Amino acid sequence: MDLIANFANGFMNLFKAGAAVFSSWVTGIIPLIVILMTAVSAVIKLIGEERIHRLAQKATGNIITRYTILPILAVLFLGNPMCYSFGRFVENKHKPAYYDATVSFLHPVTGLFPHANGGELFVYMGIAAGVTTLGFPLGELAVRYFLVGIVVIFIRGLVTEKIYAALKAREQ
Amino acid sequence: MYRAITIVKGNSGWGGPLTIMPTEVCNKVVSLTGGGIHPIAVKIAEMTGGELVDGFKTAVPDEEMFVAVVDCAGSARCGVYPKKKVFTVNVTPVGKVGPLAKFIVENLYVSDVTETCISFAVEGAALTSKDGSAAQTVQGTVALAVTEPKTKAQARAEIAAMNSGKKKNVITRLGIAVGGVVNKFYQAGRETIDMVMKSILPFMAFVSMIIGVIQVSGIGNLIAQTVSPWASTLPGMLLISLICSLPFVAPVIGPGAVIAQVVGTLLGVEIGLGHIPVQYALPALFAINAQVGGDFVPVGLSLGEADSETIELGVPAVLYSRLITGPLAVLIAYLFSFGLYQ
Repeated sequence: MDLIANFANGFMNLFKAGAAVFSSWVTGIIPLIVILMTAVSAVIKLIGEERIHRLAQKATGNIITRYTILPILAVLFLGNPMCYSFGRFVENKHKPAYYDATVSFLHPVTGLFPHANGGELFVYMGIAAGVTTLGFPLGELAVRYFLVGIVVIFIRGLVTEKIYAALKAREQ
Repeated sequence: MYRAITIVKGNSGWGGPLTIMPTEVCNKVVSLTGGGIHPIAVKIAEMTGGELVDGFKTAVPDEEMFVAVVDCAGSARCGVYPKKKVFTVNVTPVGKVGPLAKFIVENLYVSDVTETCISFAVEGAALTSKDGSAAQTVQGTVALAVTEPKTKAQARAEIAAMNSGKKKNVITRLGIAVGGVVNKFYQAGRETIDMVMKSILPFMAFVSMIIGVIQVSGIGNLIAQTVSPWASTLPGMLLISLICSLPFVAPVIGPGAVIAQVVGTLLGVEIGLGHIPVQYALPALFAINAQVGGDFVPVGLSLGEADSETIELGVPAVLYSRLITGPLAVLIAYLFSFGLYQ
């Protein structure tokens, strides 16, 4: 009898730890995320997607803004997965590079603007939880993640554009 | 004579597309929007040849109602007309919500409609049927087009007459503007809660279960001894990113970023326990995510309206590129992590 009781206790303990983690997330993470996401996506709805189309069009012109400003606008205003639709503003030979830059920004953006990719928050938040445990504020990590993200998407755009051009040349 | 039109949903809309044509009986385009007749209702009436009615001034029997144009934020009106089996066009971006949500269906309802969403139906297109019965097709629109439904001047004069004595004053316009802003905030809140319920909470449930089991069962120690040393050196992280970005690995571990999220959470636990130095949080974010979107290239490219040849070569281009940029991203993040939390 004791054996069964002990087993049952052990079994429940296994899940109690999970329950503690779950409740700390629900109370610690969700309220802020809800308010932040509501506020930012309301502002973005007020500005409106159409209003940034012209800016997006301008950003396609040169190689630097094409793989920085354009993906950032797309991710902030359209979020995952509609951000890829801004690919229609760039020429066919730049589309794969645009895709690569855009998709690579979907996680660096979540530290500061979680609304843009609310379904995949835990790439950042999982690691950020550890930083919080140690008692450090998250601002610094979020800002650096965002900035390094911009550098990385620019390089990805550049490299993918060159590789696509090479593949295309070999094809012909 | 009447013409068929196709109405598609707007950028943030839901439902549709509706391909519809008025009949002798059912031909009234009813505008049920605050502050006079809505331009969308005008456009629909102009294009189809239907009769424009201000629903707030004139009652229209249900069977004569061809289209209802509403500006409902999701409380009542957007469901009332679909419930009556009347085609409903909502100018606000509201989906299947509200107390009558179950009546809001794609073959009766379309939302976030702007003028660009409305076009003449192509000949031979199936008319949207209200109850799923055999669909009629659009016929003879070209022949009918010769007899222009109603000239624009005529239509304008009619609208002016209907709107006369009801000129939008400052208060009405202010009301509409405030209503619009409030609607957008309400919609933002609804989308956020939807996201929390459908994506964030389910993910938290499954990951916190895993973490609990790992902590209690002692697998945690195993991870601390095997994985943590890898994730706390630069070469180790470069290796992780290289493995993640291999062209045959990336598309497999990409979907939904589920693996990256689980690994991120586990590394977070190790960082919290002090097994991985805290400044490595930044390069780790890139190391575990070198595969990002590796599974989604064809879909993403077609969303960007790429042609098939571009998609064919674009997939390997992105995957090969990751072999270089995956580890490179870790290196850059490593350089940027100097001075972090010190």
